[in-house]
Amino acid sequence: MKRHVAGGFLVAGCMMLVAGGCAKEQVVNKDEGLAPTAAVAPAAPAKKEVVKETVQQTPVKESAVKEEAKPVSQQEELRSALEKIYFDFDSSRLTEADRAILAKDAGFMKKDAAVKVRIEGNCDERGSDEYNLALGQKRAEAARNYLVTMGVATDRLSVISYGKEKPADPGHDEAAWVKNRRDEFVVLQ
Amino acid sequence: MKKIFLVMALLIFPAAVFAASQGYLEVTAPGTRLLQLAIAPPVALAGPENSAFSKDIVDALRFDMTLAGPFNVTTSPVTEGTSGIRPGDFDFTPWKAAGADLLIKTGYSQANGNVTLECRLYDVVRSQELAAKRYSGSAKELRRMAHTFSDEIMRVTTGEKGPFTGKIAFVSTRTGNKEIYLMDYDGYNVQRVTHNGSINLNPDFSPSGRELIYTSYKKGNPDLYRRELFTGTEARISARRGINITGAWAPDGNRIALAMSKDGTSQIYVISKDGKELARLTHSNAIDVSPAWSPDGSRLAFVSDRLGKPQVFIMNADGSNVHRLTTSGAYNVSPRWSPKGDRIAYCRQMGNGFQIFTINQDGSGDTQLTTDGSNEHPRWSPDGRYITFSSRRGGADALYVMRADGTGQAMISRGKGNDSHPVWSPRW
Repeated sequence: MKRHVAGGFLVAGCMMLVAGGCAKEQVVNKDEGLAPTAAVAPAAPAKKEVVKETVQQTPVKESAVKEEAKPVSQQEELRSALEKIYFDFDSSRLTEADRAILAKDAGFMKKDAAVKVRIEGNCDERGSDEYNLALGQKRAEAARNYLVTMGVATDRLSVISYGKEKPADPGHDEAAWVKNRRDEFVVLQ
Repeated sequence: MKKIFLVMALLIFPAAVFAASQGYLEVTAPGTRLLQLAIAPPVALAGPENSAFSKDIVDALRFDMTLAGPFNVTTSPVTEGTSGIRPGDFDFTPWKAAGADLLIKTGYSQANGNVTLECRLYDVVRSQELAAKRYSGSAKELRRMAHTFSDEIMRVTTGEKGPFTGKIAFVSTRTGNKEIYLMDYDGYNVQRVTHNGSINLNPDFSPSGRELIYTSYKKGNPDLYRRELFTGTEARISARRGINITGAWAPDGNRIALAMSKDGTSQIYVISKDGKELARLTHSNAIDVSPAWSPDGSRLAFVSDRLGKPQVFIMNADGSNVHRLTTSGAYNVSPRWSPKGDRIAYCRQMGNGFQIFTINQDGSGDTQLTTDGSNEHPRWSPDGRYITFSSRRGGADALYVMRADGTGQAMISRGKGNDSHPVWSPRW
């Protein structure tokens, strides 16, 4: 009996090779190919790049000579002067308070035409992460458009959305959400 | 060199008899009682017994068959005269007495570092063998072998193979930031895919299962990347100004739908898999995100707040005939079309969280599947019978699987950190 069944296996196995061998081989190859994926090289360079960016920034600041001292301090001034703005839930509409802050920000920015600013749009944790990425973008662009109407050159402003990926306050209540629905202004070199 | 030698035999004829005499639908028709499926303790066919092997085999089979749906699974052993697993080597009487309708018998043996697993499915009532397969590979691959037999059991009993050998790609914060990982559908064998230390989001499999797309901030902006899983080759395929998010691979494998804000607010576009823009599908002043293809590629579901709050809409694949799908609930997002084409899964904001619903493509049959905690990111198994999703139930965000009707929810996350954005691979 046993031998008979074993023979059957062989025959059936051969038939499978003819009929559906392809699919089976794929299963084998794929499963095997996956293991190396985890440790593949390509990811490594990316890490280096990230490091490079931060490394580059620090020396520039530290090695600043006297002549550069002025702009740096102006940048520092701008950095502390640019206020965040906050939004209502699921809204990218600029409030009166936001407009007042942006007008002030525009004034500071016009003092030093060399400085570039990145506007970062953020959301609270309640919406879906996918929708919030788009909402954060809209919030950042709302601020940019207003700054442009206030006379800041478009090419000095860039925008990015972090959706709900970078909360300012990790809490899960209204107090935290209010702080997280915001645009931040980052002064770039 | 660890190579699975998937040498197996499939005894087709008994399965055909089973199908002809009883019929798949009859076996699994709703309302009929669950079939009692007994999993016998694995036996050593040659060489010493190995309790670790037995545990892997039984755990994997039990998890699969419990989620499967048509079965009530028991692993309680019955007293048998022999330990045989082949037809004629054992007596069905004690299994009949125990009330089993179906019986899985397995046996293993080890030689030269390889493990061979022999699996057999029996119809206890008819004392008949329904399927038999033999697999061999390394001991680490025992679970995979068991999953492969589970897929086969589904084929024999329902007419369609199971999805249990599939992988799940997901996002996890276990290293401190959001990286993309891959694991077996039941949470085992986790492999890290990205190592960029940035934010990585929304993985989606190509229809071949060989490639993933995802959004990454690795170069600063949220850009769309495509990665070949087996070589690790990665290409940035959309780095247009603004967001390049929620990429969804078209069923044809050549195109990708995604949301981009390059022309203003976030809109839905279609690009080639190499990143060339092919079409802009939506033209609203609102936020349009999260496109999801119908399985035949003729339509897309997507999220838009053009009427105020985010709701799910459907349009033709050329952007025409836009109409609203979800009419209940103030905030509905994350649609995914069943691979069978009949239903669309999505999330509705309720209280301070989300719940998963499914709805017919004509808007009828709106059904809530989850109630416990906050549940997001529903993604179908390739056979449309199951859904994987992320859930927060008190602690961290974890991944779960459930049947398409919301029953059988089981956690599959085993790592630290928050896991989210699961997506079930196509069949490999």
